[in-house]
Amino acid sequence: MAKETMDKEKMAPVKKASGSTGMVSKFTVFDLLMYVLITLLALICLYPFLNVVAITFSGYNAVLSNKVTWFPIDFSTSAIRNILSRKQIWQAMWTTVEVTILGTGLSLVLTIAASYALSRDYLPGRTAITSLIMFTMYFGGGIIPTFLVVKSLGLYNSLGALIIPNSISVFNFIVMRTFFRELPMELEEAAKIDGATEMQILFKIILPLSVPIIATIGLFYAVTYWNDYFQALLYISDEAKYTLQLRLRALLFGTDLDPNASVSGDIGEVMTQSLKMASVVVATVPILVVYPWLQKYFVKGVMIGSVKG
Amino acid sequence: MAKTVRSKKRHGFFETLWRYKWLYLMLVPVVVYFLLFRYLPMYGLTIAFEDYNIFHSLFNQKFVGLKVFKKVFANINFWASIKNTLFLNLMTLVVNFPLTIIVSLILNEIRSAKFKRVTQSVLYLPHFISWVVVAGIATNLFSTNGGTINNIITSLGGEAKSFYGNTYWWTVMYIALQIWKEIGWGTIIYLAALTGVDEQLYEAAYLDGATRFQRIIHITLPMIKSVVVVMLILSISRMMSIGLDAPLLLGNTAVMSVSEVISTYVYRLGIVKADYPQSTAIGLFQSVVNIIVLLLADRFAKAIGEGGIL
Repeated sequence: MAKETMDKEKMAPVKKASGSTGMVSKFTVFDLLMYVLITLLALICLYPFLNVVAITFSGYNAVLSNKVTWFPIDFSTSAIRNILSRKQIWQAMWTTVEVTILGTGLSLVLTIAASYALSRDYLPGRTAITSLIMFTMYFGGGIIPTFLVVKSLGLYNSLGALIIPNSISVFNFIVMRTFFRELPMELEEAAKIDGATEMQILFKIILPLSVPIIATIGLFYAVTYWNDYFQALLYISDEAKYTLQLRLRALLFGTDLDPNASVSGDIGEVMTQSLKMASVVVATVPILVVYPWLQKYFVKGVMIGSVKG
Repeated sequence: MAKTVRSKKRHGFFETLWRYKWLYLMLVPVVVYFLLFRYLPMYGLTIAFEDYNIFHSLFNQKFVGLKVFKKVFANINFWASIKNTLFLNLMTLVVNFPLTIIVSLILNEIRSAKFKRVTQSVLYLPHFISWVVVAGIATNLFSTNGGTINNIITSLGGEAKSFYGNTYWWTVMYIALQIWKEIGWGTIIYLAALTGVDEQLYEAAYLDGATRFQRIIHITLPMIKSVVVVMLILSISRMMSIGLDAPLLLGNTAVMSVSEVISTYVYRLGIVKADYPQSTAIGLFQSVVNIIVLLLADRFAKAIGEGGIL
């Protein structure tokens, strides 16, 4: 008891003294150290990207002599022009754009539908359906049975195989349902009294309030579709339907179906190293373009997800 | 009161269905999706107990009991893939887990909000890059002949390492790339936990003469303690799961003895060699172990008072 009061007394003057200046003013050696460490870490994160770009835009001899690090040497655009002039790349790019757009659209529609309906706590049967969904987070059929189901549905070698089998992520569903649950109910109730249907409430009230979360989850889905390698490896064997990641793998490590047969960072002549890096640039730039303006949303999305419903 | 109860009772099944028709309509494709792509494959697990004939349907196969499992368990490659999965996951965890916490603590000490935002964006970036791209970039960094890392090693007087040919150095490369890709992203959850810390605590400690380092140890760390524990338990419960992309794209025949993990083994056995029963059995074994470990981890989390993780 006595300790408690003492603590309180101790705290009281602290509050006054702290104000806005107090401890925040001095920039110490400690601060400097923190800034240096984080800057170093950021540079380590950036270097591989810059190195790829530098190699892409460097001259033949500079790449051959392994001199290129941060910046291009003997600036040259021949590698990137070579890659961009290949029909295969554009074909793969178009396939991936198609999969990403259609996939993200389908995923968002399904995730919004599931999250909205199952966030209405008056809906009979919602617990059963939610359990049906949640259970799949912990147990599943695994790679092979899923592969056989998808194949037996006639999706093999079709873009559908890249879109439909993984169109709902349970994690994203949880994030979105948590968000919908936390929206204030008053507007919805008022709309209901005015005779609005659930469909109208969703489109006129809920969705306009949910733009940030939809952007976040849309970004997650889009990145997953864009980066997907495994699904394409499983379901696409027809070269004409190669996605960007499959094409990129073929350019980097050879077309051999078993990736372990080729590989190694050492084989292949140096002109191809520039070409390889140019193809990496082409496959990555679209992500880098959308990244900055969606970035402000996703941290919040991850936090909602980590709190978990 | 009695009246409402009775009127509630009068809502029959079809009446309820009609009343919430829009919501149920929205759920139809969702339920169909889960039944078709999540629950039908669970039925497909029966393949692990069958003498699978590709010319018959999934529902019309010959039951052989545990014969397939006996074959799987007798195979030395199966145990090697489990050992490699656990080893790579454990090594990555051992290095990545403390490092992520340290980076979070450092980020938390950065005072300039703008600098923090910019560096965070940079640190998150690798998370959004595909493993194919990472594997491509890795050839620049790790090749024996002129890779950046080996250039640094040799310029410091060391000997060039064969990252693609030596199992030890391959593992080092694998862990380094995992960390490069995910360390920034991993800090988000700790930084989220730290946004809730009361500034007054720091100010009080400051006035009591605590150094910055002492404040981190006595205020910041305790604040994220429960997140740390939950994240650790979660990571440990995922020890048996490993993504296929990284080991498959980085690996090659020279390092197969460490790079062949469960997922790549299942892929090679099931998809490349089309041995469906064995690969399904391995997948089932993995799922069962996963769920047991997860339940144990959940028990453990509750026992130490952290609330469940399920």
